[in-house]
Amino acid sequence: MFLRILDRLEEIIISLLIGGATVLIFVAVLHRYGSTVPFLFPYLHDIDMTWAQELCIYMFVWMAKFGAAYGVRQGVHVGVDVLVNRLGINHRFKVILFGLMAGAVFTGIIATLGASFVWDLSETDSRSNDLEAPKWIVYLAIPLGSGLMCFRFLQVAWTFWRTGDVPHASHHVDGIDEDVPALHPQGGLPAHQGIKA
Amino acid sequence: MSSITADTIPPNKGATNAAIMIAAPLVLLGVCLLSKMGIIVVPSGARGLIIAGLLISLFITGMPISIALGLSVLTFMFTMTDVPIVAVSLKLFTGIEKFEIMSIPFFILAGNFLTRGGVAKRMIYFATTLIGHWYGGLGLAGVVSCALFAAISGSSVATVVAIGSILLPAMVKQGYPKRFGAGVIATSGALGILFPPSINLVIYSVATSGMSVIGPDGRSVSSASIGQLFIAGIVPGICLATLLGAMTFYQAYKNDYPRMERASWGERGKAFLDSFWGLFLIVIVIGGIYAGLFTPTEAAAMAAVYAFFVSVFVYKDLKLSDVPTVLLNSAAMSAMILYIVTNAVLFSFLMVSEQIPQGMADWMSNQGFGIISFLLVCNLILLAAGNVMDPAAIVLIFAPILFPVAARLGVNPVHFGIMMAVNMEIGLCHPPVGLNLYVASGIAKMGISELTLAVLPWLLTMIGFLVVITYWPGLTLFFPRLLGM
Repeated sequence: MFLRILDRLEEIIISLLIGGATVLIFVAVLHRYGSTVPFLFPYLHDIDMTWAQELCIYMFVWMAKFGAAYGVRQGVHVGVDVLVNRLGINHRFKVILFGLMAGAVFTGIIATLGASFVWDLSETDSRSNDLEAPKWIVYLAIPLGSGLMCFRFLQVAWTFWRTGDVPHASHHVDGIDEDVPALHPQGGLPAHQGIKA
Repeated sequence: MSSITADTIPPNKGATNAAIMIAAPLVLLGVCLLSKMGIIVVPSGARGLIIAGLLISLFITGMPISIALGLSVLTFMFTMTDVPIVAVSLKLFTGIEKFEIMSIPFFILAGNFLTRGGVAKRMIYFATTLIGHWYGGLGLAGVVSCALFAAISGSSVATVVAIGSILLPAMVKQGYPKRFGAGVIATSGALGILFPPSINLVIYSVATSGMSVIGPDGRSVSSASIGQLFIAGIVPGICLATLLGAMTFYQAYKNDYPRMERASWGERGKAFLDSFWGLFLIVIVIGGIYAGLFTPTEAAAMAAVYAFFVSVFVYKDLKLSDVPTVLLNSAAMSAMILYIVTNAVLFSFLMVSEQIPQGMADWMSNQGFGIISFLLVCNLILLAAGNVMDPAAIVLIFAPILFPVAARLGVNPVHFGIMMAVNMEIGLCHPPVGLNLYVASGIAKMGISELTLAVLPWLLTMIGFLVVITYWPGLTLFFPRLLGM
């Protein structure tokens, strides 16, 4: 139950952040050009939008941290799985588990370091340039995001340990039939997903 | 070879290899820790090698690239430098605190809207009315519509999916062999990396920006801006599209593949008007950036809003209720790339603090390496990396290493960026990890090995083009120069 709420919350937060940031920059651009129109000038002149850029950056950094955690659950993080996939299933199991645990270790370390950093920062009066938001709240994204990511790695590792399945991102896009078999024909760590450069 | 599925491998195969794969990083970690404790002394020259070894050994376990990068940097910082380790976690935030980087999620979002929003089928129809009556008509239309779609979406996988899923079934119905169609689409889709807006060019610009590099004359060289790279990508993109089209035409001519009926000018006009909404996005992004109306990031945001508007309200192929799914998928994809970016920024911070690129540059100029042999080596390294890694990760890891050397030898930053992009295109089209192949094999329901043969004529065309791009900087640079950039 708690897990399901967490899953939904994660999805809602990152969707809102990317959507919100898009609208924010769109409005900021409209505002910039709107203020040059004489008719609109009196209404728009007094609205200050200089903070939009900074807010957009912060929104995206938060989105990136929580989205990365969501990505672990969905298996979007790509690795070099060519060699692993040539191992027999029993040994591949161990190597993949090693990779997942390494992920948990790294994100765990970062979460701990980030927490101590944010703790120190919260005792200072450091504020961001434009928004003048307390910096420690802004940087809270690191411990929270990495902590969640660590939790997700452990969760995936646990499922893998019990069932032998890792989440596979499918290239699931409209226009491709549902019955297409796994596009990355190997097992192994998660394949690529969706849109990529 | 990747088409060997898990089931054909005996379950106990590779015991030794698996043991080595797990043990190697642990041993290297042990060496680092011992040197930290002062039990063994690591000569300073070997430190770079140990870290590179650790990174590679982590890579081959198949763990996410971002995690492997992060762990190597963390190990290095902790055991071999006096940099406070808290700085690492701070850098994970400040590393992507740049407004330019934020164009990546926007372009991904725009691409996702366009892929699902019915823009592709209108472009295909437009291209078909234009050149469908030539030999290999639908194939040529595929090349043209891939180029057009690439010019609005910034991603080559999006292009393959959007165009391929509509055009491939149509080609098969018309009597083209499947492998011809799949070959055309998988390779033409790669144009997405070269045609602006391209997420990979953004990544190149971000990865090299802010580095202090020195040119052959001793003066500092500024890195390439996103705008310059976008403009520079246009001409090579058109050239490559033409070459791929010529190869398509030749194949179709040789085998006498079916042609379409010639469309009237009225039909062409109607198809153009119908696809105009999608095509206009090219004007917004490229025109907006070039005219200085928007920064690249703002242009990307405008493109996302515009793509949403066109998909939902003009073409009405995307329902409002589907929008949250598009947002969620885009966010996950962006987060994956941004997570690699943050860790790669850490990694390049390490490279710079260890002065590895400078060392390489010195060594190369002392050895009398010229531009020609350097670029050859670069291409070989990048093509080899394209065998195992995803384009974004390759650019992020190799650009900060190779760019300072290139600049020292007098290679133009813009030219170098475009050369890397063409390399990445080739990497996308050949096994074992060519993403375009996997996507195309899913659409065409063909095995990877069969598809590998199918793409071969176009792949060779691309490799030939790579040689031209590498050794003829003028092709890349004359257009931006013409525009005074």
